[in-house]
Amino acid sequence: MAYILKIRIKGEELMLRQVKLKTFSSTLVLLMILSLIIAGCSNNTQTTEETGEGKSVASDSPKPEDVGYPGELSYWVSLDANVAATSKTLNDVGVYKELEKITGTKVEFKHPAGEGDQVTEQFNLMVASGNLPDIIEYNWLTVPKGPDNAINSGTIIRLNELIDQYAPNFSKYLNDNPEVKKMLTTDEGNIYSFPLIRGDDYLMVFKGPIIRQDWLDKLSLERPTTIDEWESVLTAIKEKDPNGNGQNDEIPLLLELGDIKGTGAFASAWGNTPWFYNDNGTVKFGSIEPEFKEFITTMSNWYANGLLDTDFAAIDTKLRDAKVTGNQLAALYSYTGSGIGKYTGLMKEENPEFKLVSAPHPSVNKGEKAALGQKDHPFTGAYGAAITTSAENPEEIVKWLDFAFSEEGHMLFNFGIEGESYEMVDGYPKYTDEIMKNPDGLPVTQALGKYMRSGYGGPFVQDRRYIEQYAELPEQQEAIQVWTDSAENAIKMPPVTMTADESNEYASIMSDLETYYDEMVTKMIMGDVSLDKYDEFIATLEGMGIQRAIELQQEALDRYNAR
Amino acid sequence: MSVLQKETKAVTVKEKSGLKAKLFDFGVKVVKDAKRNKFIYLMVLPVVLYYIIFQYGPMYGLQIAFKDYSPQLGFSGSEWVGLKHFSEFFSSFFFWRLLRNTVLLSLYSFIFAFPAGIILALLLNEIRGHIFKRSVQTITYMPHFVSLVVIVGILFDFTSTDGIINDILGFVFGIEPVAFMREAEWFRTLFIGSDIWQNVGWSSIIFLAAMSNIDPSLYEAAKIDGAGRWKQTLHITIPGIMPTVIILLILQIGKFMTVGDEKILLMYNPTTYETADVIGTYVYRKGILESNFSYSAAVGLFKSVIAFTLLIIANSIARKISDTKLW
Repeated sequence: MAYILKIRIKGEELMLRQVKLKTFSSTLVLLMILSLIIAGCSNNTQTTEETGEGKSVASDSPKPEDVGYPGELSYWVSLDANVAATSKTLNDVGVYKELEKITGTKVEFKHPAGEGDQVTEQFNLMVASGNLPDIIEYNWLTVPKGPDNAINSGTIIRLNELIDQYAPNFSKYLNDNPEVKKMLTTDEGNIYSFPLIRGDDYLMVFKGPIIRQDWLDKLSLERPTTIDEWESVLTAIKEKDPNGNGQNDEIPLLLELGDIKGTGAFASAWGNTPWFYNDNGTVKFGSIEPEFKEFITTMSNWYANGLLDTDFAAIDTKLRDAKVTGNQLAALYSYTGSGIGKYTGLMKEENPEFKLVSAPHPSVNKGEKAALGQKDHPFTGAYGAAITTSAENPEEIVKWLDFAFSEEGHMLFNFGIEGESYEMVDGYPKYTDEIMKNPDGLPVTQALGKYMRSGYGGPFVQDRRYIEQYAELPEQQEAIQVWTDSAENAIKMPPVTMTADESNEYASIMSDLETYYDEMVTKMIMGDVSLDKYDEFIATLEGMGIQRAIELQQEALDRYNAR
Repeated sequence: MSVLQKETKAVTVKEKSGLKAKLFDFGVKVVKDAKRNKFIYLMVLPVVLYYIIFQYGPMYGLQIAFKDYSPQLGFSGSEWVGLKHFSEFFSSFFFWRLLRNTVLLSLYSFIFAFPAGIILALLLNEIRGHIFKRSVQTITYMPHFVSLVVIVGILFDFTSTDGIINDILGFVFGIEPVAFMREAEWFRTLFIGSDIWQNVGWSSIIFLAAMSNIDPSLYEAAKIDGAGRWKQTLHITIPGIMPTVIILLILQIGKFMTVGDEKILLMYNPTTYETADVIGTYVYRKGILESNFSYSAAVGLFKSVIAFTLLIIANSIARKISDTKLW
């Protein structure tokens, strides 16, 4: 120690002496000059590349019959958590092993680390660096300035002509389903990706309120359908100790802000939804409508009475799972698969009575439907595989991506490998025990992830027969029905796109506005901000430019309807 | 010998006026010196290159703060927009809150975290038992080597509603559990407190080094004059480490606006934005997550300009009131 100290003293003296050197500042000037020279030399020579728009089908483009599958390609795609549990890359997954055998294409997968914001971060940096793989699979509707700008600024290429020529299966699908084609074409008329398409209405509903049926039974309660019924059920759960451990530790309801904003969870009982919605062709922002105040008032009462989970503002998967499996949480807003299915599977051994069921989207008056529930469009933008300007052989890549839309590819992406992950029984592809009762004890979601992409999504048409088997529990199948029947969904916004300028303006309004909104709504529910301040909250939203944001959404909607 | 001759010749022949001549003289001096001490120059070269490549080189990119930068158009191709991004930031809804949080967190770490190292060093200096002193030192500087992510993880565990701190508070004082990480008013305390806990030992090392550099005869003289340990500390130890303290203080002021952004990113959530959101985290959200590079560069530049100004002011004050200074 003494020795180290001595060295430190020496270093200290040196440092003090050094900083006093007069030449210090002049050296600094010299360095700055040098650096400027160097920086000037390495001037950024990167210029806009040909966008490929409309030029990809010049007269010298190869004939469809001459185009084969690419020898190799690079593919940037975020690795789903259910796959990451068993495999490091998609190369290890059944569908891509088989695909390589069929097409002979060697795929180099690049997976960003982490999830959520981390993926966004890596995506943005990759695009900014200009160092692009051949295919980027991403939700292009969410990129800054939108998909049209991604084409115009030379990140990805327009695919319309390439699809017409080299993707017979995909173009047939689009021609047979003009509504899907309309969603996926931008205002400028570009088709920019091979996206996930939900092939059946039954696949589009997968999230809603779920509740512990065994606790309801214990307390002799009915499944709640209205806000008032919910309140009395939640209060009973709070007070009557259904988990029977003698402690008052039940958490009646976990309601997350993301679900409130995203699909109007509980809020849509009052007839609209907090975020942007389509009221017969007019865009409105539900939070500045009077209904929202009633919702907030109710929620803040619930919170004050201990009916809402206090962790709702800062929750993650781990914490949520712990609350359910720890026999604390009675109700939450969650999925058929990774909600009902997952938790029932996890608790089967420990607590055979454990039973999670769906509850209808609540309404204010009995017998009415909620204005909105979770229901995806067939096309959401998610999992859109786009071809970048770096790709040297877009025709071949289009052909490769088109394979997933062929009959053979459809089966491969949805059901995996015949004989391994599914068997044909009377013309119905039935998942084998490898998937449904995995010998290594993997949950179904992870076993699916090992073989195919139907469990989460990808650039293909999702098959109804997947969900029929995946949602094998009667509670899951019932959930889809219950949630479908209890919501109107007429006010849902279609997947609109904005121009680059609009999108810029929209983002600059909404990013601060949303930060403020999230904070205030959270605080008002938690009672940190009194509801007397509600008018101030609305006035601030107005001051931050919510009306302009509504106008921009309106223009985008008008263009969408005119497509 | 011949080299020297050539150089003196060069100097006399090329008589130039003003700055040019000065620069030229300077160049000649450097070349001369380099020839004499070439190994020393070789040793310093990596450091110089580091600064040129990683600190000065990127400054070229600062121009995007005044442009509408798009990666595809590049630095030079993007359109100039003047001070648009600055005025957008100054009129932004969150401007005052960001500024307030940044300044307050910096200020608190000055008031509480900076003196903590000095106090610990003074206390350690008075300890005579070597084994005890060394173990205390080792224990207090250990946390410095633990990754920030782990530290924040520990913090989350300890302060959760069923964590150890709430257990103790509940058991001993009967206080209802507090969700510390979700209460805006607790953020600053947790941030500064954990910072002190992690870094106090480490920052005391440099002060201890300065203390062992004080001439022991001063203490002996003081003892003869009848000064107790407290008086010795007050009149010898503290003045003795003052130059070090001032230099470190000035350096700290240079980092004034940079308040552990990474740590805040790990610690904050929308419920604590009120006290936790600082310029650095805002830059991250705007720039990296929304890829609004120009805006975020402008905000970052604003921060650096303030920090630079503060550094100059601090240095000139230090210059006036004492002999210690950075330049």
